[in-house]
Amino acid sequence: MDLALTEEQKVRKREFYDTCKELEKRKPPTFLGFETIYEDEKCWEYNLHCAREFAKKGWLALGWPPEYGGKGDMMDRVLFAEARGYHSVPGVDIFGVQMLAPTLLQAASEEIKREFLPPIARGEVMWCELWSEPNAGSDLASLSTTAIRKGDEYVINGQKTWNTGAHKADWGFGVFKTDPAARKHHNMTFILLDMKTAGITVRPIPYLDGHAPYCEVYFDDVHVPAKNIVGQEHEGWAVVNLLAGFERSGINEIMTMIRGLEDLVEFCNKTKRHGEPLSKNPLVRNRLAELACQLEAARALAYRVADLQNRNEMSLMDAAAGKIFFSELGERFAFVATDILGPYGQVKTSRWAPLDGVWERMFHEHFITTVSMGTNEIQRNIIAWYGLGLPRIR
Amino acid sequence: MDLRFTETQEILKKMARDFLTTECPKTLVRKLEQSTEGYSPEVWKKTAELGWMGLIIPEEYGGMGYSFQDLVVLLEEIGRNILPGPFIATVTSTFPILQAGTEEQKKELLPKIAQGNLILTTALLEGDGVFDASGVAVKATPKGNDFVINGTKLFVEMAHVANCILCVARTKDGAPSQKGITLFLVDSKAPGISCEVMPTTAADKLCEVAFKDVAVPKKNILGKLDEGWPIVEMMLRKGAIAKCAESIGAIETCVEMTVAYSKERVQYERAIGSFQALQHKFADMWTAMETSRYLVYEVAWMESEGLPCAKEASMAKAYVNEVYKDVAKWAVRLHGAIATSADHDIPFYYRRGKAADIAFGNTDFHREIVAQKMGLA
Repeated sequence: MDLALTEEQKVRKREFYDTCKELEKRKPPTFLGFETIYEDEKCWEYNLHCAREFAKKGWLALGWPPEYGGKGDMMDRVLFAEARGYHSVPGVDIFGVQMLAPTLLQAASEEIKREFLPPIARGEVMWCELWSEPNAGSDLASLSTTAIRKGDEYVINGQKTWNTGAHKADWGFGVFKTDPAARKHHNMTFILLDMKTAGITVRPIPYLDGHAPYCEVYFDDVHVPAKNIVGQEHEGWAVVNLLAGFERSGINEIMTMIRGLEDLVEFCNKTKRHGEPLSKNPLVRNRLAELACQLEAARALAYRVADLQNRNEMSLMDAAAGKIFFSELGERFAFVATDILGPYGQVKTSRWAPLDGVWERMFHEHFITTVSMGTNEIQRNIIAWYGLGLPRIR
Repeated sequence: MDLRFTETQEILKKMARDFLTTECPKTLVRKLEQSTEGYSPEVWKKTAELGWMGLIIPEEYGGMGYSFQDLVVLLEEIGRNILPGPFIATVTSTFPILQAGTEEQKKELLPKIAQGNLILTTALLEGDGVFDASGVAVKATPKGNDFVINGTKLFVEMAHVANCILCVARTKDGAPSQKGITLFLVDSKAPGISCEVMPTTAADKLCEVAFKDVAVPKKNILGKLDEGWPIVEMMLRKGAIAKCAESIGAIETCVEMTVAYSKERVQYERAIGSFQALQHKFADMWTAMETSRYLVYEVAWMESEGLPCAKEASMAKAYVNEVYKDVAKWAVRLHGAIATSADHDIPFYYRRGKAADIAFGNTDFHREIVAQKMGLA
């Protein structure tokens, strides 16, 4: 067991942190975390600015093979994610950089890699994910949107939903039924498509707090070049599983929470209730300390997942456990923080809101991590079935 | 970064698992809980031959010279199997000798400890039942070449079989409470000492030790007069991590036994492990185990490297305390009625979960340390 960083890693970590710290200073007042980039024009501009800055340093291609413009290794990705999380800096497209790029590197043809990887590395093209449908959520394989091959094109008809940032994205990747007659899991293809293609209608969906980070996407005879696929035709399910395997360690989200806790401690030290600082209240102390302990546990497990990823020994179980743990910690954190703020815990960003209203926002936003990327209930199934070898009822 | 065990650690782990499986079956654990001694001198001797008591003692004093991390690997196996006896009491009481002992004290005590010929324990808690310096009221008063100790210590693990008691006593009154505390190496057979085993949840032989005019030579002071508290803090920190390591092993057993049982136990014509009501609980237990494990490994690494880790050690103890109790509780619940019987092995872990929680500071005690270290004014 050795958690030490090498001297080189320490230097790079410093550089990641310094750069993110500088970028943090440029955030617009409306920026309150990653989801706000999809809701506010200034935040989106800020996101693009950060992306360009990272691209200049080659940090959007960390861990890629050098022939596609990559530099650094998987550990650099972890350290970079840590720094971005701590300073809450956007600029790394979760869909393009974090999900699609590693999938392309493993499963796409040389032609597709050469076409799509460089714009991702340059921070020029932003992506969205087109997976869920109204009747295909956790049971994604029951999807019904079709992409029927006609000559050298697919023609797509149907509807996708819960597509975060689809209204901002340049391109989308999704799975579509290409062989409706074939059996489940062997009837769909992983397709890349330009979101400006004729026949695509994107409608933002209001989230429960009234913001609109996600959309539904309608396809009405949308023509897509047949070459724009990843993996084999009709075998898109394998690509979906591959992509899901690039589960993130959660270190980014965990570092955001660690920073949030630091800010909350500072708030408690300087805010008086009953004539003395909130920090003197034994209940506040106990509850914040409990969160701190859980955050440290979450961070330790994230390093475990990262350590496995670095050695290409991905454990489905640990990644699932990490996702369950840090996302539900996010729920608890939001509840505790809004409790401690008392009546101010309900105030949205405004002159009355403590800490820019970030905790009122988190009171709603935490569902994004528990429900998306495989609900936590699906993650628990993964641990039980594939990890603990428990029988699966069919 | 590499979170895998070293080859030495893998060997140690396997050796410990094999030894404990053979030498300390649950029949023996049950017998020892019911016995007066609470440990098997025969098994104790064998563990000494394996080098366990001397694991962290440098080779020049007859030990193995292993690291703190290696000790954590061993303790995990001990926790997995359960080994009733004075191992943790002896090992954690060895740390103050290693850190603060004079050359003479080290030469005299360490080889005996390594050989298994000296059982040690630490007497810290008193009537208040608190782990901070304010709870130390037992007095040691200078008299000629001696100090004379008076007062009563409580919750002293395995004191009834210990050869030497590390007594934390007050040598100077007045605030702050951390000043004026001294550690004494007391021969457990010294006149004026009486010892009584307390009945406890885990039957782990915590004792009341009464000191009545017990004379201790000045040369038996460990560390400096009046400046003993930082040594106690160090011991509590290492002890907390050690206890966490033991707990991880126990948590692992709870998860493994319960999952295995759920695959065998048939109700409604199917294994109960096929029901999601159980599966999701197992997933939670497994997640709690993994978060605990890597948190403890992280802290053990910091401690091994000599990095400051008071905050992280308290985080680990506060966290693992709750996980162990909760996982053990669910292990009983998911087994159903069978594990509520004293004949079942799971109750050993449930009861020991409570003892582990209290040892070296309970959750609220450690959360308060965390609160201070995280900057809450």
